Formats: sequence, C-alpha cells, structure tokens
Amino acid sequence: MNRLKQLFSRGRLYGDLSEEIQAHLEEKVEELVGNGMSRKEAESAARREFGNVTLTKEEGRDVWRWSFIENLLSDIRYGLRILFANPGFSIVAILTIALGIGANTAIFSVVYAALLRPLPYSQPERLITLTELRPQQSGAADVSKQTWDSSYPDYLDWTRRCKSFQALAGFSGDGFVLFGAGEPEPVSGAQTTINFFSTLGVKPFLGRDFVVGEDIAKGPKVAILSYGSWIRRFGGDPHILDRTIQLDDKSVSIIGVLPRTFEFAPRGNAEIWVPLHIQDDLVTRRSLRWMPVIGRLAQDATQRQAQAELNSITASLAAAYPQENAAIQVVMVPLRERIVGQVQPVLLVLFGAVGFVLLIACANVMNLFLVRAAGRRREFHIRAALGAGRGRLISQLLAESLMLAAAGGVLGLILAEWGTSLLIAAIPDTLLAFTPFLRDAHTNLAVLAFLAIAVIFTGVTFGLAPALQISRGQESETLKEETRASAGGVRTRLRGLLVVAEIAFSLVLLIGSGLMVKSLAAVLNRDPGFDAKSLLAFSVNLPPTTYPKDPDAIRFDKEFTERLSALPGVAGVASNSVVPLTGNGASIRFVVEGQPVEKGHENECNIRDVSNNYFSVMKIPLRAGRQFADSADSTTAPQHVVVNEAWAKEYLHGQDPIGKRIKFTYSPKENYREIVGVVGNTADAGLDRPDEPTLFLPFSQDTNSFINYVVRTGGSPASVVGEARASLHAIDPQLVLIQPFTMDQIIAQSPSVFLRRYPTYLIGSFAALALILAMIGLYGLVSYSVSQRTRELGIRIALGAQQKDVMRLVLGEGARLTILGLVFGLLAALGVTQLMQSLLFGVSALDPVTFASVAIVLALVAVVACCIPARRAMRTDPAAALRYE
Amino acid sequence: MRDNEQRDLFPGALEMMILRTLKRQPLHGYALAQRIKRTSNDLLQIEEGSLYPALQRLLKEELVKAEWGVSSTNRRVRIYKVTAAGAKHLEREVSRFERMLEGITRVLARGES
Repeated sequence: MNRLKQLFSRGRLYGDLSEEIQAHLEEKVEELVGNGMSRKEAESAARREFGNVTLTKEEGRDVWRWSFIENLLSDIRYGLRILFANPGFSIVAILTIALGIGANTAIFSVVYAALLRPLPYSQPERLITLTELRPQQSGAADVSKQTWDSSYPDYLDWTRRCKSFQALAGFSGDGFVLFGAGEPEPVSGAQTTINFFSTLGVKPFLGRDFVVGEDIAKGPKVAILSYGSWIRRFGGDPHILDRTIQLDDKSVSIIGVLPRTFEFAPRGNAEIWVPLHIQDDLVTRRSLRWMPVIGRLAQDATQRQAQAELNSITASLAAAYPQENAAIQVVMVPLRERIVGQVQPVLLVLFGAVGFVLLIACANVMNLFLVRAAGRRREFHIRAALGAGRGRLISQLLAESLMLAAAGGVLGLILAEWGTSLLIAAIPDTLLAFTPFLRDAHTNLAVLAFLAIAVIFTGVTFGLAPALQISRGQESETLKEETRASAGGVRTRLRGLLVVAEIAFSLVLLIGSGLMVKSLAAVLNRDPGFDAKSLLAFSVNLPPTTYPKDPDAIRFDKEFTERLSALPGVAGVASNSVVPLTGNGASIRFVVEGQPVEKGHENECNIRDVSNNYFSVMKIPLRAGRQFADSADSTTAPQHVVVNEAWAKEYLHGQDPIGKRIKFTYSPKENYREIVGVVGNTADAGLDRPDEPTLFLPFSQDTNSFINYVVRTGGSPASVVGEARASLHAIDPQLVLIQPFTMDQIIAQSPSVFLRRYPTYLIGSFAALALILAMIGLYGLVSYSVSQRTRELGIRIALGAQQKDVMRLVLGEGARLTILGLVFGLLAALGVTQLMQSLLFGVSALDPVTFASVAIVLALVAVVACCIPARRAMRTDPAAALRYE
Repeated sequence: MRDNEQRDLFPGALEMMILRTLKRQPLHGYALAQRIKRTSNDLLQIEEGSLYPALQRLLKEELVKAEWGVSSTNRRVRIYKVTAAGAKHLEREVSRFERMLEGITRVLARGES
C-alpha cells in the first residue's frame, strides 16, 4: 500500500483501531465476569492488564503517520489556542521579543552593510592601500589608518619595480566650481591616476574609462561623473557623453558615468572624477607626500610577499634618496580595514550592547513562561497521566515559545526596518558621504538569516528551560495541587537566577553607557583652544586663470576681507589654510638652528598659513612675543614664524622660543626664519586628539589659492551666510562660497564628536531598555513570591510581626537578588568595558565613579521595584490569608 | 515495572510470536493475546495493549492482513492473517533467532564449566 493511500485512509484506520481495542476490553470483561468477578472489578482488571489505552492508541496511530510533522502541526494548533486564550501574556511576550529582536536586527543590518558585506569591487579582498609613514608617526597603531599619503615619485618607483601588485593607483581629493549645470556650484571631486577604476575592477556604466595621455597636465580635459551627480545635476541626460562642462576655469568633456552601485568611501562625496593633472613640485618632489595609493595584489602574491618586496624597495629608495626617504617606512593596510576601520569598534560595541538587550528580553520572557508554566502544571500532569510522553510535552512548550518568538520576529522585522532607517537618518550627510556603505543597510537575505537565527535562539532559550522543568517535575508529583505556602523550589530558584542575570546584564550596559556619556562630555568640554561660539567658516577657491599669481590672491583677500568686515553683525574676519577642527592640513620638515640632525631624519610638524589677525579673531591666547602684523610681516618683510606651545615644548625643551630660528629643508634655497611669537594650542586634529606641534606662517608670505575664512559674528553666525555670498559675488561673480558651516556644526559633525555622540545615544537607549526589562523581571518575581507566601505572611502577622518586619522580609528577598546581580554585573563590567576602550576619551574603562554611581542608581531603582509588592505584603489581612488556604 | 519487562523482550520478538501464532490460525486481537499468554504458560507477562501497536506495524509492512469478521462471542472483530510475505519474514526471523539463541546458550554453558 502506498503512503499516499495510507494518508487518506488513515481516518478509517484510526477508527478501526479504537473499535478493536474497545471490543478487546469488552471481551475481557465478559470473560472475567463469566469467571465470577464483579463487573466493576472486571473492568478495572481488564484495563490493568491491557495497559494505557490512550498511549496504546497513540502508538498504534504513530505507526501510520509521519509523526514528526503531524505532532508539530497539532502542537501548533494547540499552542495557538493557548496563546489566544491568554492574550495579555502573549502580547507582553511578543512585544518584549520584538523589541529585542528588532533592535538586534537593525544593528545587524548596519553591521552587515559596514563590516560583512563585500566591498563592491571585483575580488575586493585583494585590494590594499599603501602609505608612507615618517618616524614620528610610526608606532601609534591607529595612525597608519589616519595617515594615507605617498609621494608621486615613490609611487612611480613602486609601480615600476614591485612585482607583487597587479596594479597600483593613486588619487587625491579635489573640488571644483561647476558651471554649465544650473547655477555655478561647488562640487566635490577627485583626481585619480588613469588606472584607478580598472584597479578597483569598476567599469563605467556609460562611456569609457580614462586612457593613457589624459593624466598629463597638457592632456585633454576629461571627467567621469558619479551616477548620483549624473541624475541630480544633469537629469540623467542620455546624451551626457556629448556634453562639455566647465570646472573652475577649464572646459571639460564628460567621457563616462559610473555605475549606480559604485562607491569609494575615502572620497565618498566625490561627484566628478578627473585624471590627475598635477605638475611641477607635486610630480617631481619626493618629499611631498600627498597621494593616497591603492593597489591590487597580483594573483599569485600574498600580502606578506608584497610587504617584503616593498620593504626592499623602500630600503633601496632610502639609500638613493637619503634626504627625502631615509626615515620613511611603507605600510600596507587592506582597503577594507582602512574604509571601515573607524566605524568598526563603534559598531562592534553597539552590536555587543544590543546583544545584551536580547539576552535580557529572553530572560524576561523565560520568566513569564516559568510563571505561566507553574499555572499550567495541572494541565501538564493531566496530559501526562493521559499518556502524553515527555517528548510531546517538551515539544508542545517549544512550539508555543517558538510561535511567540516568530511573532516577535515578524514584528521585530518591522521595527528593524524602521530602526535601520532611523539609524542611518541620524548620520549627517557630510559623514554619510564617507561611509556610503551604510546607505546599503536594509533587509536582505543575510539580515533575514540573522533574524531567523535570533528567533530560533530566543524561542528555544525561553521555551526550553520551563519545558524541561515541567516535564521533570511531572513524574514524581501527583495530580494534587502543590502546597501553596512554600516559596522555595527549583522554579523560583531558576527565576531568581534569571533576575540576577538580568540585573547583571543591565548593570554592564548602564556602566558602558555611563562611560560613553562621560567620554562625550569630556570631548565636548575640551577647550578647543579658541572661542568656538559665533563663528562661521567657509572656503573660496581662486581659479588660476583669473588669479594666476600670489599678488592676485592677496589683492582678492584684502578686498573680500574688507567687505566682509564692513557687514553688520560681523566682528572680525580671518583666514587659515585649514578649517579648524577638521583634522585636515599639511605638514613640513624643518631643522632648528643649532640642533644638527641626520639627513632625512628632520622633524616634521603641522604648518598653517594664517591671516595676520587670525589669533585675535579666533581668540587664541598669545603666550609670548607678538602676533603677525601688517607692517612687520608684509610680503617683502623678513620671514617670521609663530609656533604653538606644543611645538615649543616638543622641540625647544623649555628654552625661550622667541628669537630662535628654524629652516625648512625641502629646498636648499630656504633661509632661516625667526620665531616671533608663541600661541596657545588648538585642537586642530579633533577634540579627542592630543595637541599637535604647529608652525604658523603669514598668509602674505605663503599664499594659497584655496582660502578658508573664519568670520566672528555678533549674533547667529548662520545669518551672515547670505551677505557673505553677496559680497563674494560683488567682487567676482565666478566665485562660489564653499561649504559654509558654523563652528558648532563643524564640531557636531566631526568624527571625534559624532562617533561618540551617536553610540552614546544608542547604548544609552539600550541600557534604559535593559533597565526597564530587568526591573519588570525583579518586580514580577517579588510580586509572585509575595502572592505565593500570602499564608506565611498571614501567619507571621497573626503571630505579631510588625509591618516593618514584613517589609524587611520582602525587600530582603529583592535585595538579595539585586546585590547578587550587582556583584556579577560589576565583575562582568570590569572585563567588558575593556572592549570599548577605543571609544573612550578622558575616562578610564574602570572609572570607579561611573561604576559606583551606576550601581547605586540601579540599586535605588531596584528598591522602588520591590517596594510595590512589599507594600502589598504589608497590607496582608491575616484572617483572609489563612482562610485562603 | 511492567514497562521494563516488556522492554526486556528483544525488538521484533513480539512480532515474531504474533506471526507464529497467526500462522497456525487466523485470530482476532483478544484471542491472539490469550493464545500467546496461554502458550507461554504465562511465563511472558505481555501487556495486552502492546499487541495492537505491533499489529499495526505488521499491517503497515503488509506482513499480516486483517478482515472484519465475527468472534465466537458474536462481536465485530478484526481477524488477522499472515500474508505470504509475513510467512517468509517469520521463517527468516525464526532462523535468525535460533542462531542467536544457540550462540547465547553456548556462551552461557561455557561460563558455567
């Protein structure tokens, strides 16, 4: 007989079996009665000899069916009935799970997009980056990720000599004013070597890649658009390849459009890609290190081989060019590491934190299950007595818990979708541009797989313990109700353990978020070294055709500064070659007069070109000497420098800097420059970074065509943007105000602040959620135990226990759990907070104040949670309590 | 415990005894139970109920077949009969069992001397 036929004829088969067994019993009874037994005795004897009728029937049926699936279906049917019968329980459980799973899935979507998803290049694991490190930089591990530049001649030598790479390519950030697509507007761009896209393995979606001959200064001017800019700025024009645009003062033909999926985080905001069109110094000077280099390992080469080969090339370059390369070290970092390096620790800490939330949610639901399981003991005893095997009971409870988990998972997925978009929306565009992979954070197969695993994990976690417990209890106990008065027992002990774990987990989270809050406060309270209030910053780029020489730029600067200063609400205008606090900027090698150095081993420090009034407008304190002055530091005056305190401390070791002389070593034509002033340190590299030694030169003697202005305002800095733009247009309608931001905005968007504030808020919310869940757990357990001890409490009160004794009794129970939880939590936190070391600033991972204050707060909240049931216990009416029994 | 006693029968023993009994004469469930008990001189305390799952297994494997009939006490009962496949199966099982028994006996005899 085939299976299918069996399946359809089974109803009849089952009926046959029942009828047959019935007949068997009747026949037996009849025979026994015939032998002289009473009917009643005969019936029970017949059953005794037959054994368990239900179990026999079930076993008989099991022979026929695909029992696993059928049991499952019946478990599900029964479970659904039970869950619908207790909507309150089900809703609380589902919501708790949904919160836990939703938060985890949302964070996982982001973690996946950032850390797990392969980069959208061909064989991305073979892509590496190269950087040259100077002796002062090597050592600090994270510097190799911050620093990323090489000199062009060195790059050419690597390309020529290094066989371990299939290709090496360089790029550099750039910005243009774009004409020919609506209003003239500043756009971000990048210059690359012509093999840049082919090294990544990316082909334009329209048109072609760069070709040889386009990367020389005199070559044809061409550009490739990013997909986004093609759509936004050119309306997705299908004939875009025939169009010519104007970038600054150059006419450029568009030769291609990049695919929509293309991203390159290090220049994430670049809309227009052009071939490198550098000349002069940048091409020839080996000591000018400005170009980040990426590379693709050759098919048969390993990273180790490549690094070894690079080391030998580096050694030979150092021998050949001691002045430039003597102290240079070449470091290779995988492209992925460089791209996600900064967000990786943040994400991993968040992922860990949210994992704790899920564990606490599980513990809470498990608690609910245990309480409910206690209420269902009778049901299970009856089912067991009727012949349900232990396996069936366990699978029944697991089916229920998995169904709850699945419902929580579905709701959680909705929460996660919403949460993920919130997570991404909270990232400012300027930062999102450099983490383009985060835009990709949404539900995909990997996220769904994670969700499924989380659902099964939670379902099994909170379903299994009660299931095992219930089925263990069943054998020894009879159908009678357990005695009401006892508060002990395995079940309560397990629930106590769960509450202890919840308290411990939430304490860890709270301590983590406490440390984050302290770090954030430390960063925000750090004195940047200047007055950041009422300050507007923006940039202006002077194209070389209209402003070919330094005097042209100086003339523009003078006129623009005068116009700006005359605006109402403007208190001062100054300029710098770098926008403060952005971490950008150039550095230079120098020697101090009277401190001989080995060739190539000169010191190197930051260099900034500032307007004469920069220090006074920024309110950077003058520590010694004088500021730059119009007359003493004019274009033709002797060359002077101002240094900051960090510089004086680092290189003069306590000697008086004023009057000391230094010389730059990049050119033999350089003369000694005298130090005329010392100013306070500014947190130029970022609010969480140490003060860096910095040299200042007067703008009049070291002029740039890209000028960053800072405007001190009387009122709101944002309100002068319009007038500043109008003033600029009045001087030259071709010029554009680039990236006007208030200093407050710059601070808020700087990685040092944002990469702290963001996880601080998140971990804070996780910790709050954890605390609430843990307190619900504690409250629930204490209330339950009070209700179980009503009789005991009644007797105690009847025997003369005072209200405060009862209070002490109940609170004592809560306190025991809380103290245990706090002890375990503190111990765990000692280890766990070490993992978030890299996110902390100005606070130790073991900060005793945070540890203690968080523990005290948690203890206080726990007391409140226990007080409610304690008050109820106090009001126990002894008469009623005793009658209740 | 009864449960354990029943488990002491090796797997397939019950089926073998059922087949042997039915081969002699087609029987319905109750009669089969009584027959096995009596034949074993009540040495085997088989739970009567356990016959039924075993019969269901044999039915499923098509080693026996069942037809509704009337018992001596005038009840509608299912009468079980060994099929050709069942007879062959029984032969195989019995010879296997005898070999096993012989083996066990030898080992036990050796142990005594």
